Amino acid sequence: MSATDTGGRVSQFGSAVAEGWTRERFGLLGAVALILIAFGPPFQVYLFTDFLVVALFALGFNLLYGYTGLLSFGHGLFYAGGAYGIAIVLRDLGPVFADVVGAGISPLVTFVVGGVVGLALVVVVAVPVGWLSVRLEEIYFALITLAFGMLGYSLIIQDPAGLTNGTDGVIVLLGTVDLGGVSIRVGGRRLYYVISAITVVAATYGVWRIVNSPFGTVCKAIRESPDRAGALGIDVRHHRWMTFIVSAAIVGIAGVLRAGLASVASPGLTHWSTSAIAVIATVIGGATYFSGPIVGAFIFLYIRWGISRFPALEAYWELFFGALLIAVVLFFKQGAVGGLHLLRDRLVGDGGGGGAAEAGSRATSAPDEATESSDDDARTDRGDTS
Amino acid sequence: MSFTSLVPLIGISDVVIGLSLGSRLFLIAVGLSLIFGVLGVLNFAHGGFYMLGAYVTLAVVSNVIDNFWVAAAAGALAVGVVGAAIELSAIRRLYNRVDSDLDQLIVTFGFVLVIHETVRFIWGSGSYSIDPPDVFNFSVALGGSTFNAYRLVVIGLAVAVLVGLWLFITRTYFGSLVRGTSSDREMAAMLGVDVPRLYTGVFFLGSVLAGLGGALSAPLQATSPALGDQVIIDAFIVVVIGGLGSMSGAFVGAMLIGMMQSLGPQFISAGSIAIPFLAMVIVLLLRPEGLFGGIGE
Repeated sequence: MSATDTGGRVSQFGSAVAEGWTRERFGLLGAVALILIAFGPPFQVYLFTDFLVVALFALGFNLLYGYTGLLSFGHGLFYAGGAYGIAIVLRDLGPVFADVVGAGISPLVTFVVGGVVGLALVVVVAVPVGWLSVRLEEIYFALITLAFGMLGYSLIIQDPAGLTNGTDGVIVLLGTVDLGGVSIRVGGRRLYYVISAITVVAATYGVWRIVNSPFGTVCKAIRESPDRAGALGIDVRHHRWMTFIVSAAIVGIAGVLRAGLASVASPGLTHWSTSAIAVIATVIGGATYFSGPIVGAFIFLYIRWGISRFPALEAYWELFFGALLIAVVLFFKQGAVGGLHLLRDRLVGDGGGGGAAEAGSRATSAPDEATESSDDDARTDRGDTS
Repeated sequence: MSFTSLVPLIGISDVVIGLSLGSRLFLIAVGLSLIFGVLGVLNFAHGGFYMLGAYVTLAVVSNVIDNFWVAAAAGALAVGVVGAAIELSAIRRLYNRVDSDLDQLIVTFGFVLVIHETVRFIWGSGSYSIDPPDVFNFSVALGGSTFNAYRLVVIGLAVAVLVGLWLFITRTYFGSLVRGTSSDREMAAMLGVDVPRLYTGVFFLGSVLAGLGGALSAPLQATSPALGDQVIIDAFIVVVIGGLGSMSGAFVGAMLIGMMQSLGPQFISAGSIAIPFLAMVIVLLLRPEGLFGGIGE
């Protein structure tokens, strides 16, 4: 690059950031931000919780799409599975727990047990659904997951077993924890934000460990070429099945949090239009990056909120996302995170700041890489540290 | 006998309603199937096209000319033009990508949102309906039940479209180009077929069929912006059961689903809306090429 004075200084700043701002510092900064948000205005706390839940939903979805190359249009099934699991436990077993552990702490115990039950329910559903779905690929995989999702939707709506309360859904009452005179509503915005933030951060870290483990490497190998992966001795179908189950479980955790946030487990969660939210967020954020779904969910939630501030536009936010989706797929497949990488390379002038935004994944890489190779890197770096 | 006890339940009107529901499904599914068979694109926006056809027809009837048939033709053509524009501007850019299938599905899903919101912007969220054309707007009494004669017209037109398409694909020069390109695009291109133009043409034709389906069913249903999302899922079920790319499969699948929608609730109360999805899953697993598989049949 042409080393003009300003360019040079920006570049120096970039290198300094790359040298000094390690993964730990970024982690600390993120943690401080998360804590500060808990003291924000109630609506902002709610909106940010909403973002965290959608981000986890999209992150779980992207384990299958971005990392393994399978596009599911039925992950709403697992989102709803988690939500209905906890909602039904709270409705039917809440009083039972109150008897066992005492009324004071029972809402919290019930919430935790309900969450575990919701997650278990999702895994129980995902094992057979995944086993059948991974028999198919590409368009056919998208169609069969769509069919499974809508099958679940139909069953929840018609409620043959008398569990799901039809189109009305199941109301979620989180209750109030009462500890020696101090009572806190579990569903209160700030406490619920704290619960969600801890859960989402932990789950995100789990997913990050998975995609950077040998398991995740095999996923990427399958995405790049199923045939070659098979030739290397990988049982492609089995690995896709396992990824499907993990992906569903992550989405299930998001579903559990969604139920408490929305105070209802509604059949709409299973509908394909809910599954599509994960697709929109992931594609806009950049499916090939680990942080893509998170950034995409952020854009999705906050732009939607921004649009809703203008009454004239409020009803038409889908138009914006439809157009954005088309533009991203047609012209800039790397999505928002890819855009941020490009922007960073422009500003820094080399790959020095590499991955700083990516949870510090490449914070220690050599600062004097050529622009050429770092551009190339940004395109092939699918969110892994390699 | 248990059979005789079932007979009074099925009125002829139920059968006619089922077949007319199947006919509108056929018109959208056959276009979807044709586009997939030739271009390899699963067009998520096809339900939106169908809805757009219904809206344009309603708008033309109430604002421009009070003739249903002219309006229906205008609706179908307008949708064809929209479809061709989408193919030219967006889908065309994706044919040569490695993972083009999924990108195409996502882009056409983007158009689902765009069409849905555009329709809502122009016509609002309410639902519209019109009467069938006067000539056919009378009740037919048959076997102790009544139905509107217009339903028979829709069924007849669907059959005519099936026969016409079949003749077009198997008997005409353009049809042979379509079949050739469908089975081997590179070879067809080398033999001098203008593949990009053919693709646009097929997308136009498939869109016209969806628009026609919407236009013809405007008098039979309430037209609202949610229509597209409902009908595309039914169309997916139909093309999967009939076989993606198969025209006769689309016809049989559409009639099957139409009859199921009309008669199903009378026999199975709980879980009846789940059955088409269950059928879709089973067909995808056991016979992914569909019950009547084979491209271009």
